[in-house]
Amino acid sequence: MSALQAARKTRSAIAMGLCYASAGVGLLALALILAALVWNGFSGLAPRVFTEMTPPPGAAGGLLNAMVGSLIMTFFGVLIGAPLGLFAGTYMAEYGRGSKLTMVVRFINDVLLSAPSIVIGLFVYEITVVPMGHFSAMAGAVSLALLVVPVVVRTTEDMLNLVPGSLREAATALGLPRSLVIRHVAYKAARAGLITGLLLAVARVSGETAPLLFTALNNQFWSVNLNAPMASLPVVIFQFALSPYKEWQTLAWVGALVITAAVLALSIAARVLGAQRTSQ
Amino acid sequence: MTQAMTQEAPASRDKLSEKMSVRNLDFYYGDHKALKSVNMKFYANQVTALIGPSGCGKSTLLRVLNRMYDLYPGQRAEGEVLLDGENILDPKLDLNALRARVGMVFQKPTPFPMSIYDNIAFGIRLYEKLGKADMDERVEKALRGAAIWEEVKDKLNASGLSLSGGQQQRLCIARTVAIQPEVILFDEPASALDPISTAKVEELIDELRRDYTIAIVTHNMQQAVRVSQYTAFMYLGEMAEFGETDQIFTAPKERRTQDYITGRFG
Repeated sequence: MSALQAARKTRSAIAMGLCYASAGVGLLALALILAALVWNGFSGLAPRVFTEMTPPPGAAGGLLNAMVGSLIMTFFGVLIGAPLGLFAGTYMAEYGRGSKLTMVVRFINDVLLSAPSIVIGLFVYEITVVPMGHFSAMAGAVSLALLVVPVVVRTTEDMLNLVPGSLREAATALGLPRSLVIRHVAYKAARAGLITGLLLAVARVSGETAPLLFTALNNQFWSVNLNAPMASLPVVIFQFALSPYKEWQTLAWVGALVITAAVLALSIAARVLGAQRTSQ
Repeated sequence: MTQAMTQEAPASRDKLSEKMSVRNLDFYYGDHKALKSVNMKFYANQVTALIGPSGCGKSTLLRVLNRMYDLYPGQRAEGEVLLDGENILDPKLDLNALRARVGMVFQKPTPFPMSIYDNIAFGIRLYEKLGKADMDERVEKALRGAAIWEEVKDKLNASGLSLSGGQQQRLCIARTVAIQPEVILFDEPASALDPISTAKVEELIDELRRDYTIAIVTHNMQQAVRVSQYTAFMYLGEMAEFGETDQIFTAPKERRTQDYITGRFG
């Protein structure tokens, strides 16, 4: 073996070692987080977590109002954000491909995608909470919607761009108008990808704390009123974890475990759907 | 084989009716002029082959016949293309109605991401409201018409994508036939298929001639000889020679036609 080859082999071994080490560190961090969650949260996991409201300090209770609040606000956030994102992404991939407007929208969308969520929270606080004079679940849903939009725009555009042009031409050749080509052929071909994007958006917003702090605030009691402050899991976790009370801290761990499990399940579902798309 | 086919042609040569007629057609991709004053005719119930080296404009010409180029900004056609005497380049023309009359089959099979049955029924539903029984009948008729019924009749609910390439292409032909067009355009329909599938598609094209006017772009000169009655040889965006297939391949009038079909270039 020549010296050149030997040197190459050494460099390859070093690079590979670094890759393994990096992957190991990442996985280790993830494993430690999951282990800590299970270790601290599992013991507090009891039926009453799912049936009782958040307790006052020193009393026993559950997280029912926070879970329901999270579900409600995530639902409305997606309800508002997903259609906006879907339509915008459809415009970009189907009607305005390569146009100036599309490039501007894509740039702004990328900015929004990486905007700190606390900034979104402050923005929604200014435009809803201040004029209305009080915190509300609706304001929370709006701020979550603003986080859903860029994720859905991005995945919709990407997935529709993957639909081969020949498929659109084939549908057009049958005499289909543009709108039907998009609805019946392009959406269908991209369906798995579009659903994956939606699930990823849900997974992303269901763990958001910062935008809700300024908008939905929190609520210690049962409330499904969209016009009033509402509890949510991330905010309750935040508040309880920082408290000096033992019961609250335990509930914070349980909440963290529950929300992590839910997001993990969603991500796995998204992955499975994505895999189906590629194997088609 | 060509001899036999032409003799079986329903109309005698003298009484052929012009289905489509291309007059002084220019075509532009932006500033690039891809077709230069092209003149030719497509006769009813005849197969007309468009041949020529890559980039000669034969696919471009085909895509004018159903205004497919309209999908892309910057592409425009000038001149006249008559379908039963009506100029289809008229900007006021209903494009979807035109495409219902002039169907197209592409180079790569393009089944829609739905079941075999729905691939056919989908197009029919656009134009007609049919009950279940009538629709079943129409789907079967279309699949039989494309010589694929026997292969798919037991799996009509399977995805169109689960079929082989040759079957997918015949499914696409069935889909085109199902909406009962008058003209069918084939853009190198067999270039992505194996020889057996190619033979099936070629036989099919010959059968379809009974009911439709057919234009086919092909790179394969034997294929042009096998399936067509008329051949147009295009070169650098011009119509170099247009005539009966026999004449083009046995006694071309133009030097460049002869050079091309004898393989001197292209």
